[in-house]
Amino acid sequence: MEWAELIGRVAAHGDRAAFKLLFEHFAPRVKGFLVKTGMNADAAEEIAQTTLLTVWRKAAQFDPASAGAAAWIFTIARNLRIDSARQAARRAKAAVSAERDETPEVVDSPETMMARRDDVSRVAAALERLSEEQSKVIRMSFIEERPHGEIAETLGIPLGTVKSRIRLAMARLRDLLDD
Amino acid sequence: MTIKHHPPEDLLADFAAGRLDEADRLVVGVHAAQCPRCRRFIAAIEQLAGAALEQAAPVAMADDAFATVIAAIDAPEMASVPAPDVSQPVPPLDDDLPEILLRCRFGKSRRVAPGVKMQPIILPGADKSRAFLLWSAPGTRMLEHSHTGTELTLVLKGSFSHEGGDYRAGDFDFGDGEVDHQPIVGGDRPCLCLVAMRGDLQLHGWLGRLISPFVRL
Repeated sequence: MEWAELIGRVAAHGDRAAFKLLFEHFAPRVKGFLVKTGMNADAAEEIAQTTLLTVWRKAAQFDPASAGAAAWIFTIARNLRIDSARQAARRAKAAVSAERDETPEVVDSPETMMARRDDVSRVAAALERLSEEQSKVIRMSFIEERPHGEIAETLGIPLGTVKSRIRLAMARLRDLLDD
Repeated sequence: MTIKHHPPEDLLADFAAGRLDEADRLVVGVHAAQCPRCRRFIAAIEQLAGAALEQAAPVAMADDAFATVIAAIDAPEMASVPAPDVSQPVPPLDDDLPEILLRCRFGKSRRVAPGVKMQPIILPGADKSRAFLLWSAPGTRMLEHSHTGTELTLVLKGSFSHEGGDYRAGDFDFGDGEVDHQPIVGGDRPCLCLVAMRGDLQLHGWLGRLISPFVRL
């Protein structure tokens, strides 16, 4: 069954069996993803749990026509990671200053930043036309935060060309989206 | 609104990946909220991130993880997140701002130079960069300057121009340490910008060196 369909069931009638499937698939992947990008295991566990809790609570806001389930869940985990970093910074500053701090959150909620429906097909078409190597280079560099040496090794290209490959891939993606 | 100048792609990708410092994220986010073209780019990166998440090597969750989440679902919905306090101890120097900015908290505005005011935005999570509103009177000629760090500028109202072209509402200007420019504010109306700055401003020429202790940004 499609993940999007399971999220739909959670939204429609609080289907716990569907939620369990989502949890078992995505929670360990969110945790693995966060650990791989440098977070300690305890913090990653907590964010993975909260991510799935948010999936339950916001299931009705998920629009399968505008985002894939995995991309939607990624944006939830990303925003939680940003929030937790911000709260840590705030606590650190509160410790040195007695001033009360009530700065509202400015993080973009996934639903406001997600592409509008009419953009979806353009995004999908552009990603389809991006070469395998180019989407890989963007993924490794910006999302998985791999060092350039590792990217060079994985793609079998000289270290000196990694930077220009990344730049070319980004420009190509921009061009494809503008078509 | 026709937006001509956009953030560089790597900044958009870092935004999508959630890796920007708070001040930078604010400026890129306000631009993206107005710019369908950049929203599409961000959405594309988010799709790639979704694919990366699908393929991430799973790490086993704690034994009681699912039970913990179910318990949270069953717990009476409490106001876990207090409603943000929207009262503004210090009002923004312009009250007609994009919604994201109206939710921010502002510090006291102050005069930077003749015809130039700045108002800091208080971001406790900001690490290396600072965000502020910059208001300039029509026709203001900013001092020729470069930066030790990066400077992200989004035009909210009015316009300015420098060697890079004309910048109007919605346009985004990215300056780094290599850029040396002297912006001139359009002559018909004041210019209001949202700026994220990292490092220091360096003023050039004998006049700049003379007055730089008084120009505080």
